[in-house]
Amino acid sequence: MIDTKLKYDVCVVGSGAGAGPIIYELSKAGYKVLVLEKGPWFKTEHFTKDDMTATRRSIYTPNLKEEFHVIESKNEDGNWDGIPTHESGKKFWNGNCVGGSSNFMSAYFHRLKPKDFRLLSEYGEIEKGNIVDWPIDYNELEPYYTKVETVVGVSGKVVPNKQLEPRSTPDYPYPELITNKIADWFTEAGAKEGFNITPAARGIISVPKDDRKACYLSNYCGSFGCSSDGKSSARAALINDAIKTGNCFIQPDSKVFHLETNDKNEITKVWYYNFAGVKEFVEAKIFVVAAQAIETSRLLLMSKNPTSPNGVGNNSGNVGKNLLFSSIATGSGFLEFKDFTPEKIAENNNPMTFVDRTLIDFYEIENSDEQTKIKGGIIDFLVEHSNPMPKAMRNKKDGERLLYGSELKTKLFDYFTAKKKIRFEAFCDWIPNDDCFVSLDETHKDKWGDPVAKIRLGYHEQNKIPGNYLADVAKKIFTKMNAQEISGATSKGPPVNLQAGGCRFGNDPKTSVLDKNCKVHEVDNLYVTDGSFMPTGGSVPFTFTIYANSFRVADKILARLKTMR
Amino acid sequence: MPPELQDIELWQTNRRTFLKAAILTGALSQLSFLQSCSDDEIEKGNDLLTGEQVTIIKSVLLILFPNDGNGPSADDLHSYEYIMWVLKDPGANQENNKYVIDGIDWTNEASEKLYEEKYINLDEKQKEKLISKFLEVDYGHDWCSILITLILESLLLDALYGGNPDGIGWKWLNHSQGFPQPTEELRYDNLLQTVRLTS
Repeated sequence: MIDTKLKYDVCVVGSGAGAGPIIYELSKAGYKVLVLEKGPWFKTEHFTKDDMTATRRSIYTPNLKEEFHVIESKNEDGNWDGIPTHESGKKFWNGNCVGGSSNFMSAYFHRLKPKDFRLLSEYGEIEKGNIVDWPIDYNELEPYYTKVETVVGVSGKVVPNKQLEPRSTPDYPYPELITNKIADWFTEAGAKEGFNITPAARGIISVPKDDRKACYLSNYCGSFGCSSDGKSSARAALINDAIKTGNCFIQPDSKVFHLETNDKNEITKVWYYNFAGVKEFVEAKIFVVAAQAIETSRLLLMSKNPTSPNGVGNNSGNVGKNLLFSSIATGSGFLEFKDFTPEKIAENNNPMTFVDRTLIDFYEIENSDEQTKIKGGIIDFLVEHSNPMPKAMRNKKDGERLLYGSELKTKLFDYFTAKKKIRFEAFCDWIPNDDCFVSLDETHKDKWGDPVAKIRLGYHEQNKIPGNYLADVAKKIFTKMNAQEISGATSKGPPVNLQAGGCRFGNDPKTSVLDKNCKVHEVDNLYVTDGSFMPTGGSVPFTFTIYANSFRVADKILARLKTMR
Repeated sequence: MPPELQDIELWQTNRRTFLKAAILTGALSQLSFLQSCSDDEIEKGNDLLTGEQVTIIKSVLLILFPNDGNGPSADDLHSYEYIMWVLKDPGANQENNKYVIDGIDWTNEASEKLYEEKYINLDEKQKEKLISKFLEVDYGHDWCSILITLILESLLLDALYGGNPDGIGWKWLNHSQGFPQPTEELRYDNLLQTVRLTS
């Protein structure tokens, strides 16, 4: 139980990847840190490999009848239609609990490349795209990537590649995870096409670290919590250590709804609903918001004060704008066992699902004129996750026809026992644009009576170009692997688990919400440290960069706190 | 309610149209002499379903996931027992649950229109034909789709939830379950209470 009368040094809203490094560093430095987390506090021993919990009832995310979003999509007439997610059934939540969605990530950890920090300078403007350079460069973030690799825990193996980013250390601190033999099939097939497929780093430790056990290869990662703490979630890797300092106080089931400012536009109080729904507040010297991009923008917009009538940090009208996702191309194929020798099948027909192979050759793509280049991305290769329910659900139909009876049983048996599904996920830049943003929906309210976030999902056509290019590359590799039923293309819908932007950082308060240190321009004691700061997302999943940036900002806050002592 | 059924008037019309069409297309001419189902063939009812409803849904489950020599049937999977658990689960989709029960009566209604007999009095071929006809209309298709989802859950979820006895579904599909598996305290409907008691 927290002491609401105590004035903490730092109050952190949220506890995922953007919050973890702040909580860890400041607690270890001796500052009193209070964490307000909307969700419950699952401990390691609470996680099981139960498909009912993880995917059928989705217990790690809120009930959509109580908490939801309104998603605006463009209809055939070119108008925007808003549909509440409790009607569509499409959740826009990830993990709502201590440690946030980092508990449930698949944990593919790629660094951004130096050119990602200066997308505008390197590749020029894109019509109707709000491309800008970052106010920091790769060199400023590099030491923090290294810190994440060591402190949070990243396993892998560095292999030279022309697209590889500069590193201050020769290799990852944790050796590669054990992979299915099929990983070699990807590498060999890529080599036949002239591609240099290399090991992919994972935010999972392959050997024990302090109280954390190594990955035990449960084969249930994405969507499931980790039962060994091998997965480098903010909870397992950072918050548990922060608690040991005696300076970190976790308050789960506490939903923050208002940041209160004084006449100097400083945050003085954070208001939240406790478990019983009663409004309470806490005070602190410095406040950090890291509630994941959409909810962070929502909280700032909801926090209307005399000094911030449009929401905290929003006097220039930028909060919620330029929301980002990863632009993702996905695809799959099937290795049918009848097409391979028994020896080859025996190599890979086991429960092991780690492949950990990636292709970064096409992080830049040469245009047909061979003079100019466009930004490309990476391709991660994988096999289907182990949990069986999604596999079974994919076999309910043949096209649009519902299967039943012996036909259904035969299809299920064949899918589970006579083939292996291989997949790729290609990550590219989501072009920020004026039609992709978060606002407040004044019609729809959550269970506390507050306006829900309305998300307009404007999609830039440019997203398709590198995505489809990479999908074609991946399909060539699948063909060389003798896969059947190969498919894949850029997904128009955004991946809900890869969200960023909405409070982009920059040097100009007129065009950005945060300064280069992720402090809100207009507010002297408020920082935002989740993925909201990103003005462009790069061509990799965001979590590694969010961790690294949060460590960077922790150093800035530490410097501030020293002057306040 | 499934999206396609949100317009209740349209849905009612579709049902009437189906039943009328079934009669007009001559299904009635397929009537055969039917024995009445004897009392001992009617299952016991419970607090949610009448004996006749239990009998119908068990029969339909076996049509959807039969005992055909290829792996377990709906009976083997305890699909009915699993569905009874779902029908009482406050965390389940309550609209789907209502739909599951309503669908049993629609099946009977369709049987009476099509064959002038209750479903339980049809022979096996007639029952199968009725279900195949049922799948041709939206509400029948959606009802069967929900039942198939529930069968698949009884095939592949942990036995804690009432289906998949002794991992029979996993064994059939050569699936290696993940560890740790859920316990009573950690099953989905007890999990949050367990977490909050121990936090």
